[in-house]
Amino acid sequence: MLRFLTFLSILFSLQVSAHPVIYKGGWVISSFNMDNMNDQQLMYSFTSHFATGLNSYRFTKDEQDTDLLFAKLNYLAWRYNGDKSQANLYLHSGVGFSDQQSISQGALMYGAEMDWETRELFVGFKHWQYYAPHQFDMPVSMARVGFSPFTAPFDSLQSWFMVQAMYAPLASETISLTPMLRFFYKNVLWEMGASSKGGWMLNLMVHY
Amino acid sequence: MKKFILVALLLSSFSLWAKTIKVEVSGMVCSMCAQGIEKKFKKMDVVNSIKVDLDTKLVHIELDDDQDISDEVITKNIVDSGYNVAKIIRE
Repeated sequence: MLRFLTFLSILFSLQVSAHPVIYKGGWVISSFNMDNMNDQQLMYSFTSHFATGLNSYRFTKDEQDTDLLFAKLNYLAWRYNGDKSQANLYLHSGVGFSDQQSISQGALMYGAEMDWETRELFVGFKHWQYYAPHQFDMPVSMARVGFSPFTAPFDSLQSWFMVQAMYAPLASETISLTPMLRFFYKNVLWEMGASSKGGWMLNLMVHY
Repeated sequence: MKKFILVALLLSSFSLWAKTIKVEVSGMVCSMCAQGIEKKFKKMDVVNSIKVDLDTKLVHIELDDDQDISDEVITKNIVDSGYNVAKIIRE
């Protein structure tokens, strides 16, 4: 049963880099999945600057899982809308629970995320901190760079090549470097990649 | 004959009132992120069709006959979608 639930969570869980806040009234369901980490998110943007929702994480190291569940508030603190580019600064905060070695307790998370993109280039960086008293005070950092080989029209499939570097001490692959492909079509985005140590990555995000 | 002329006049007057508004939007670089613009305008009863062009950074809003949208409403929809209006062009 647990395996089935884990499988379902991998299939339907969501959190992909970027898009922590979208248009007013928009929902984001996203899933970020690596073989030693899952990040699942359901967020509602009640303005174009604030989004709230639920975010769960699972980190696996030495066959031991650390599970986290947060009620989150994301804030678009700054946005630059340029002629040919856009840049963003988002702040994340969350209050919830952690479960490690069958010990459950309250937990907090906070972080920041920045990105800059044109139609051909993407650069992003984010840093979160997860805190559960007497269990962990753990940072997770992620950076991404990417380029699109061609600029497609609004209603066409978009393709990107990206590389992600991640530091996550609670995951078995503490430092990972993952080349990946990103595609999006209309309101659906999906990504797939494999890390330098052979770990897989499969992400999905839907706006609606 | 009178009826025919009346219908022809009505048709021609409707076509005169059918409008397309072009909105130049800044920051529109990601088609997935800009879906919100399309979604917001499609919800409006007076909008017949909408076309987003990332190359020209223009949003083409085609209205139903004899309908209009104020600049304030257009700007609000664009801002609520996370972008800025650079220019509104009415034809």
